[in-house]
Amino acid sequence: MTAPFVIAVPAKGRLQQNAEAFFARTGLELVKPRGMRDYRGAITDLPDVEVAYLSAAEIVDLLAQGAVHFGVTGEDLVREKIADADKHVILIDGLGFGHANVVVAVPQAWIDVHSMADLDDVATAFRLKHERKMRLATKYVNLTRNFFSAHGITDYRIVESAGATEGAPAAGTAELIVDITTTGATLAANGLRVIEDGVILRSQANLVAARAANWGAAEREMARIVLDRIASQTRARAFREVRTRFAGCDAALLAEAKDRFGVETPFGGPTSSGMLTLHCPPQHVHALATRLREKGAENVVVADIGYVFSRANPLYAKLEAGLT
Amino acid sequence: MNLTSAAPDGRADALLTSFERAGYARVMPAILQPAEPFLDLSGEDIRKRMYLTTDPHGRELCLRPDLTIPVSRDYLASPAAGAPQAFCYLGPVFRHRAEGAGEFLQAGIESFGRPDKAAADAEMLALGLEATAHYGLDAPDIRVGDVALFSALIAALDLAPAWKRRLIKDFNHKTSLLQDLDRLAISASHARPEYQGVLAALAGSDPKAAHALVTDLLSIAGITAVGGRSVGEIADRFLEQSALGAQTSLPRETRALIEKFLAIGGDPDEAAADLRAFAREVRIALDAPLDLFESRTGFLAARGVDVGRIRFSTAFGRGLDYYTGFVFELYDPSAPAAGQLVAGGRYDGLLTRLGSASAISAVGFAVWIERLAQLRGAP
Repeated sequence: MTAPFVIAVPAKGRLQQNAEAFFARTGLELVKPRGMRDYRGAITDLPDVEVAYLSAAEIVDLLAQGAVHFGVTGEDLVREKIADADKHVILIDGLGFGHANVVVAVPQAWIDVHSMADLDDVATAFRLKHERKMRLATKYVNLTRNFFSAHGITDYRIVESAGATEGAPAAGTAELIVDITTTGATLAANGLRVIEDGVILRSQANLVAARAANWGAAEREMARIVLDRIASQTRARAFREVRTRFAGCDAALLAEAKDRFGVETPFGGPTSSGMLTLHCPPQHVHALATRLREKGAENVVVADIGYVFSRANPLYAKLEAGLT
Repeated sequence: MNLTSAAPDGRADALLTSFERAGYARVMPAILQPAEPFLDLSGEDIRKRMYLTTDPHGRELCLRPDLTIPVSRDYLASPAAGAPQAFCYLGPVFRHRAEGAGEFLQAGIESFGRPDKAAADAEMLALGLEATAHYGLDAPDIRVGDVALFSALIAALDLAPAWKRRLIKDFNHKTSLLQDLDRLAISASHARPEYQGVLAALAGSDPKAAHALVTDLLSIAGITAVGGRSVGEIADRFLEQSALGAQTSLPRETRALIEKFLAIGGDPDEAAADLRAFAREVRIALDAPLDLFESRTGFLAARGVDVGRIRFSTAFGRGLDYYTGFVFELYDPSAPAAGQLVAGGRYDGLLTRLGSASAISAVGFAVWIERLAQLRGAP
């Protein structure tokens, strides 16, 4: 491999901490060999990988250009900044942090507006009454335009907002906004309310692959290794290992456990001596343990899982499918 | 991307000379324009087709995506604003397009302030026909509509204001409203269930008292004006919802009436007779727009236009909400899919929307020079 395999990671804030913690859990330790202020990093045991610390917005640009192979960034930015995003990048997996919704919010006092259909009518009425269009403040210009277009709303104007979008209606620079929210508390504090069918996107941090990057055999192999680590950890995090041994364990019980508790059997059915290993979603562990003892198990041992390395690699399969 | 220059050939200049001879002064508005008027008048959807930039003060500028708005703005800024003036133009416009270069040539005419609307409308279509003839196409398809007829029909119907707004908006933005009448529904069903009782109670009460109650309630909450809408506006629409009640689809008889209206078409003389009969039957006064319509047809005939070849349809609109009356498009009969060669119409509301204090009538059209130059059989 002549050029390095580059993974772009957010350079600051909670997104950086979460991303580093995520990679650490997968056994990929991000290090900055030249000190904390350096914007180039590495992964401890993968010398051919380069880590680029960049702003979330820059990461999206570089993914679109194919200047990096992988990037960690929010789906909201991907969909906003890249036209026809799915033609340029592959969203490989949601990473379970950086959750936020992109929503349409109007003043709470608009007691006559609850749906996008209401907003459509109000927008037209506003133009007729005021001889100008309603102004909408947002930094999500493209997401907004596509969403409003899908709802047939035409009587509005976008006012691009660099920051503090939620203050625009109170400041008189816009009638409504499209912005990102996690709990809605900031919106409420500014006298705004989310329209019922006005959620444009439920976003979270994603591992994103760039279609336009150089994907030779060496790069694909590197991607396979990285995604194998991530997949092994994703699977491990989603399950607890449940072990037991008893004579009454049969196919019918296994079928019931799969059906009721969503368990997986990584090694198939019970061994000849009755040893059974199950992978069970955490929320069903107690119910499963109760059921197994009802059927005669003396002891049920539940443990956290470090990694699950499978021959199948769903994340890499997704990348391969996307690159063809 | 084709970035070679789109230099006008000799024929385009000759076309402009003929417009000048007809009394239209040639103007050359700035290529770099403020983006605001285009976004405001054409809608946010045009943003993705515009070449936008920002000046050091943060103002959004664009390469002009059409010439109607630049010519109108220059006219409004001139000492002659408000007086009858006639302009013609030839120059590049800029739009992102899936096919073809982002820079292409348009010629056109804008006529402002003429009180004789029927004659002015007819002159536009006649000059548009001269433009295709100039390129060797003597008999293009002529598609014609009249937005004023639909507006007059809707205004006269006994319908809730929300319904009228919706129908006018859909007429302006759909190529065929007829197909959409089935699916047309408005949002009364979305009103919050907890408000239904209050709304039902208010529906039967004195409108003034109900308005005062809602206004007072909002005032108690310390709300005066939020997001550019006054408390009165919010109260008005809140109460409109109560008037709508459970009526979320168009009343059947109204729908049938609109469908019947939108099915009327043909050559202008047949259509006018059908529309007069329709107006008598449903007892809706369409006299004013129909008088103008018939007078326009007379002027067209007087200019030597073969009126029998015009295909008029009540359902024909041009997809822009600034048209207010006559609209037309000319096509190559052997290649209608290539798009319109000439298109235009009357937009009496445009200059007010651009800031004119008084209403100024306006009518015009644009010519797609490259399309005409590529006509099959053209020299």
